Amino acid sequence: MLSAFGSAFVLLGLTASVAGMITGVVALVRGQRTATMIQFAWMVPLAGLGAFAVMEVALFRRDYTVSFVQQVGSETTPPIYNFAALWSALEGSLILWALVLGLYIAAVLRKFSDRRRDPLFGWAVVVLLGISSFFFGLMTLPANPFQRVAVAADFVGRGPNPLLQDHVLVAFHPPMLYLGYVGFSVPFAFAVAALITGRLGEGWLVETRRWTVIAWGFLTFGIVLGAWWSYEVLGWGGYWAWDPVENASLLPWLTGTAYLHSVMVQERRGMLRVWNLSLVCATFALTILGTFLTRSGVIDSVHAFADGEVGPWLLTFFAVITLGSVGLIGWRGDRLRSPGAIDSPLSREAGFLANNVLFGAMAFVVLLGTVFPLLAEAIDGSRLTIGRPYFDSLGRPIAIVTLFLMAVAPVLPWRKASTELLSTRLFWPAVGAVGVTAFAVLVGARGFWPVITFALAGFAGGSALRHIVLSVRRQGVGGLIGRSNGGMVVHLGVIILAMGVAASESYKTDRIFTMEPGDTVFVEEHSFTYEGLAADRTSRRDRTYARVAIDGGQVYEPARTRYTQQGIVVGTPSVRPGFTEDLYLVLDDVPPVPDGPIRLRVIVRPLITWIWAGGILMGLGTLLAVIPGSRRKTRGQSAHEVGAGEGTPTKVRVSAFSRLRGLNP
Amino acid sequence: MRRFAPGSVEAWVFIVVSLVALISVASFAGGGAVNDGERAEILNDQFACPTCDGQSVAESNAAVAATIRQFIRDEVAAGSSDTEIRDALVQSYGTEVLLNPPSSGVATLVWVLPVVVLAGGAGIVIASLTRGRTVAAPTAADERLVAELRRERD
Repeated sequence: MLSAFGSAFVLLGLTASVAGMITGVVALVRGQRTATMIQFAWMVPLAGLGAFAVMEVALFRRDYTVSFVQQVGSETTPPIYNFAALWSALEGSLILWALVLGLYIAAVLRKFSDRRRDPLFGWAVVVLLGISSFFFGLMTLPANPFQRVAVAADFVGRGPNPLLQDHVLVAFHPPMLYLGYVGFSVPFAFAVAALITGRLGEGWLVETRRWTVIAWGFLTFGIVLGAWWSYEVLGWGGYWAWDPVENASLLPWLTGTAYLHSVMVQERRGMLRVWNLSLVCATFALTILGTFLTRSGVIDSVHAFADGEVGPWLLTFFAVITLGSVGLIGWRGDRLRSPGAIDSPLSREAGFLANNVLFGAMAFVVLLGTVFPLLAEAIDGSRLTIGRPYFDSLGRPIAIVTLFLMAVAPVLPWRKASTELLSTRLFWPAVGAVGVTAFAVLVGARGFWPVITFALAGFAGGSALRHIVLSVRRQGVGGLIGRSNGGMVVHLGVIILAMGVAASESYKTDRIFTMEPGDTVFVEEHSFTYEGLAADRTSRRDRTYARVAIDGGQVYEPARTRYTQQGIVVGTPSVRPGFTEDLYLVLDDVPPVPDGPIRLRVIVRPLITWIWAGGILMGLGTLLAVIPGSRRKTRGQSAHEVGAGEGTPTKVRVSAFSRLRGLNP
Repeated sequence: MRRFAPGSVEAWVFIVVSLVALISVASFAGGGAVNDGERAEILNDQFACPTCDGQSVAESNAAVAATIRQFIRDEVAAGSSDTEIRDALVQSYGTEVLLNPPSSGVATLVWVLPVVVLAGGAGIVIASLTRGRTVAAPTAADERLVAELRRERD
C-alpha cells in the first residue's frame, strides 16, 4: 500500500517536472505567459514532501514490502536513527535530494512571485524543473526506493549501517550538506537563464546573491558537522581523511567560495563575467560529479554506503551540464566582454583575483588527487593510492598563502591602494601577528608550518577584527550584519578553524598500550588507569567497554559494540574534550579471556575543539551576512568597502551603473 | 618614542624582524630528536590500509591496519630505516600501500599538473594586471567622436 503511494508521489514529481519544463519552454519561446509551468512547478515540492512523508511512515511502520525499508529498516533501530535511516543509503538520499530541491523551487516561486512575466525567472524555473526531472527520473528507473517486494517469512530487518546509528550528528550532517549542494541549483538556474535570455548584466547575479550565500553556509556547516561526526564515531582520532566523499563535498565548496569572492568584482566593476558564470556552473556540476564519483562505485570509499545502478545516469547528467554550460558561455561570449580592467595589483579586485587563483588551484589539486588513481590505471595500469601526505604537501602552502591574503585583501580599497594606506591599515593586524606568534612560541609551539599558521592567523584575525570594530563603532550592532560584516565573522571562523587544524595535526600524540586491570600509563602529563572491562547488552547491540580513569578522576568508557543484526563490530571512542586539548580513547582490542589485557589507544589532540567552534562561527557569520545590512537599504548595493570608510561619488555611480546593466540587456 | 609611531618604517622593521626571529626559533629550535613512538606515528600516516579504501594505517581500525602498525612499531624499535620499512611494506602489499604517490612514471603528473595550473592561473592574472595599466592610445574614430560631441555641445 505505502509503496504504491510513494511511487505515485515520485511519478507526480516526474510528470510535473517534465510537463512544467515543456510547457515552460513552449510558452517562453512563443513569448506567452508561463502560468501553466508555475502550476506544474508547485507540484514538485508537493511530490517531494509526499515521497518523504510516505517513506518515513514506511520506516516507522516497518513496512518491509517497501524495498528501501527492507534494506535499512529494523525493529530495533531507535526512533532518531530510524528517521535518519531515510538518508542512510542511496535510494533514500535521492528522496531527500528531491525534497530539498522541491523546497528550493517553492522558495524561488514565492520569492519571485511578482516577476512571473520575466523570461529570466521563467527560464530559471525551467532549469530547476530540468534538474528535478532528473532526480525524480532516477527514482523511477534505476534507483526506485518504493519498489514493492515480497517479504520472506523469516525476514529480519538489518537496519542502517551501524556507523550510521551511533551518533546523533547523523541526523543533521546529511540534510545540511544536501541543503548546501542542492542550494547551488538556484544560482546555476539563474546563470543559465541569463545565458539563454542574453541578459548577462549583473541582474541575475544580484538576484541570486543571497541564495548563494545561504547554500554556501549550509554546505560549510554540513562539512564541519561531517568532520565532527567522523571524529566522534570513526575512532581514529581524526576528522578528515581525504576520502573521495569528503573531497567531493570540498570541491563545490572551493569553487563556491571562489565565486562568493569574485562575484563582488563583477558587481562593483562589471568584470569577470565569463569567469563568474563558469564558477557557478562548475560548482553545480561538481556537486553532480561528486555524487557520481561516490555513488557509482568507480572509486571505493568508506562512505560508499550503497552502490546503485545510477553511475551512467549521473555521468550523463554531468556531461549534459558541463557541455551545456560551456556551449552557452561560448555562444554568448561576445556579450560577456568585460567593460573594465584592473588598475593596480594593490586593489580589492586584484585581491579577489588572487583568491580565485588559490581556490581554483586547491580545487584542481583535490579533483586531481581524487581521480588520479583512476587515470593512472587507465594510462599504464599502475595501481596508486593518493592520500593525506599528497593533499597535505600541496594544500599546506596554498592554505598559508590564502591566510596571508585574508589579512591583506580586506583592507584593500577598490581600484588602487597606496603603500601609506596599507601601512596604516595593516599596522595593528601585524602587531596582532607578532602577539599571537610570541604567545604560541612561549607556550611551546614549535615547527615551521604550525607557527607560520599561527602568525598569519593573528595577522588575518587582526584584519577581520579591525573591520568589525570599525563598523561596529560606526553603526552599533548594525555593524555586525550585512554581507561584508558577516563575511568578516566568517573569516574569523576560518582563522580559528585553521589554528585548530594546525595544532591538532602538528602536535597530536598517538600511543598504544597493552594494559591489565589496575595498570596506569602516562601520556602528555595525564594518567590513564585501566579499571576493568564491563558490558551491557540490548536486543540491538552488545557493548563491551573499558573503564578508564583519567588523572585519577572521571571514568571514560571507550567501547567496542557488536550490532547483532549486522554482525558488525564498531569501535566507539570516548573523548574528553577541552579548550586546549582533547583526550581521545579507543578500545583497540578486547581480550578473548575475561581479565586479559586490553589494547588501549590514547590520542591527545590540542585545540581540536577550535575546529568545531570555527565551523559554528562560520555558520553564524553566514547568518549575519544574509541579513540585509543598513547601508544596503539606502544604497541598494553591497557595502563591503566598510572599513575603508571612504565612499566616493564615483563608487556610488559605478554601482548605479552596474544595476542599470542588470536591467537593460 | 615618536619613531615607533604606528605605521612608521621603524615600527614595521621591528614587526618583521620579530616575526622572522620567532618563526626561525620555532622552526630550528624544534622539539629535539624524534623518539621511536613519534617516528612510528609519522610512518603510520604514510601508508594505506590495504583493505579499507584509502584510509591510512593510522586511521583505520581494521585488523590488517593494526598488524601494519605493530610491524612499524617493531621495525622502528629494531632500528630499521624509513626506506627499509617502506620497501618491506611495498614488497608485501604492492605500491598501493604508499599513500604518497611516487615521483616516477605516470605518477609524476600528479605532482607536475598542479604546479602548471597554479603558474598558469597566476600568469593569467599578472598578464591581466599589466594589460590593465597601459591605456590604449585614442584612435582616429575616438577623436572624431569627441570632436562631434564638442560641436554638438557648443
